[in-house]
Amino acid sequence: MKLTTRQLALCAVLTALALGLSYMEGLFPVSLLIPLPGIKLGLANIVTVYALYELGVWPALAILAARCLLGSVFAGNASALIFSLMGGVLAMLVMIVLSRFRRLSIFGVSIGGAAAHNIGQIGAAMITLGSTAPIGYLPVLLIVALFTGALTGFVVSLLFRAMKNVRLMHE
Amino acid sequence: MKRIFAILLAAGMLFSLTACGSSSYTADIFAMDTVMKLTANGANAQAGVEAAVKEINRLESQLSNTIASSEISQLNAGGSGTVSEETAQLLSAALTYAQKTEGAFDMTIAPVVSAWGITTDTPRVPSADEISALLQLVGSQHITVSGTSVTLDAGCAIDLGGIAKGYASDRIAAVFAENGVTSGVVSLGGNVYACGMKDKKTGWRVAIQDPRDSANYAAVVTLSNQFAVTSGGYQRYFTAEDGTVYQHIIDPATGYPVKGDLTSVTIIGTNGTMCDAYSTALYVMGKEKAIAYWASHSDEFGLVLITTDGQVLYTPDLEGNLESVEGSSYAYQVIG
Amino acid sequence: MHTKSSVKLRPCWWDGLVVAAVLLLSGAVFFFFYLSNGSGSGDLTAVITHRGEEIGRVDLTALTSEETITVEGTYDLTIVLSSDGAQVISATCPTQDCVHTGKISRAGQSIVCLPEQVVVQLVGAKNGVDAVIG
Repeated sequence: MKLTTRQLALCAVLTALALGLSYMEGLFPVSLLIPLPGIKLGLANIVTVYALYELGVWPALAILAARCLLGSVFAGNASALIFSLMGGVLAMLVMIVLSRFRRLSIFGVSIGGAAAHNIGQIGAAMITLGSTAPIGYLPVLLIVALFTGALTGFVVSLLFRAMKNVRLMHE
Repeated sequence: MKRIFAILLAAGMLFSLTACGSSSYTADIFAMDTVMKLTANGANAQAGVEAAVKEINRLESQLSNTIASSEISQLNAGGSGTVSEETAQLLSAALTYAQKTEGAFDMTIAPVVSAWGITTDTPRVPSADEISALLQLVGSQHITVSGTSVTLDAGCAIDLGGIAKGYASDRIAAVFAENGVTSGVVSLGGNVYACGMKDKKTGWRVAIQDPRDSANYAAVVTLSNQFAVTSGGYQRYFTAEDGTVYQHIIDPATGYPVKGDLTSVTIIGTNGTMCDAYSTALYVMGKEKAIAYWASHSDEFGLVLITTDGQVLYTPDLEGNLESVEGSSYAYQVIG
Repeated sequence: MHTKSSVKLRPCWWDGLVVAAVLLLSGAVFFFFYLSNGSGSGDLTAVITHRGEEIGRVDLTALTSEETITVEGTYDLTIVLSSDGAQVISATCPTQDCVHTGKISRAGQSIVCLPEQVVVQLVGAKNGVDAVIG
């Protein structure tokens, strides 16, 4: 993975952005509306999607790993790591596959990613709790993923449109 | 393309992590004239269950007296012969149980059972003369087992139906152990084998059917590494033209279906063959004798009796284990 | 492989396939998890797990009055069981998701406290018994 200095710098900025988004979405009291443990808007996925298209698979993975690790350190909660990792990695894998299909727009890819993210989180919950009870939340979380995925896709599409004329990667 | 494949493979492995520890395998089969369900948990679940099914089929072809080529059928046809060591040992065990229960359990009852035909399509009520003639053929004295050679008196026949499923459950316990299965539950008609625990903290919950209502349970026991067998007349019976109900468990002493004060007998123990034999024997004995028999063999098994007057009686070793069923209208009582 | 210049920025009909797939998955999980757990009339049972170990299994239909179970750990929870359901009435965990869940009353539903790893799950009649003899 040969990165230019520019790309490396972009990675760092994106990681910071992802961490910021993670923190910010933690402030939004989603669990008041839907009393499910660990339900998140998944805003950090905006960075993952953007990085995937802008930089490619490996840099995006690196940003994801860094964001998850640092995120759990900042939150002071080691078990959060398995949740964000499983959710993030599964989302990434699904999006890589989906992005191969030219017919899909960025919305389809993001929705698929959001759904995979929630499945990964439920999987992490099952491992942590040693019970199959969390599966009961999956149907609702998957419906929610349709909306958070669409939102993520929308934001990234705006980003790309805005950056269209900005030559970020070139001198 | 290779990249995509590698990534999908990784995703698949990641996914399989989430299923860690909850693998389980179940097989539903029909054998030995009854419906059987075998379940095992853990990594060796499928191998264990498949091996157990093979073992059941093997035993059926060896011991059934409705399969012409089985060792037992050939013995019944020929009068004497050589059997495999396994069958010889099972026959010896059956003789021991017959002796211990003073004939309440008796495999030589076959000719009488055939005459009634209650479990076949053509049940009938034999005449009193026919029955007393057939009773001459019943009794442990008519069969001799010496090593692997067996001698059966003329006209006599044996039926291992009251012990075969119990023996099969013992064999399944061994097969599970051989295959590294440490958690599972197997139900062979009215015979249950509970292997290990269901999960880290709970044993297997086994319900005893209510003889009066097939949709409800009379009681529930929790088992671990134990066998439980239930016998009861309500399981199979036929109603004659005059309205009399004849149930399928024949009393070897009278040649007639048992007409006692018990509707169901459940034996719980660590030997499947014994549980099977005793469940039939104690049903034949009736309440008083069954309790007396248990009292002199109390360390061998636990007992649950359901009586015709609406009581569920159980032995002290099951106290704290046996659960009553809400709204079952039975009176639950510990035996003396 | 795929660059930002080649990805469509407007939603299109093909995205509908992804949406349909997610809806289908959601329905399938709902069906298998809730409906096959038995909408138990009869022996509704509450199973309480703490850090992976089952610490309680209570037949709710056999309860004549409320039963309170306290779970202690890094955080403490107070669970109230009654003949028609289960509820966490108080807890010392930070996000209080378990308390916010409210009362559960159907087989397949559960209350989860992630920080303390406590699960209160309701299972239906058929799940209460593993085999029937007789």
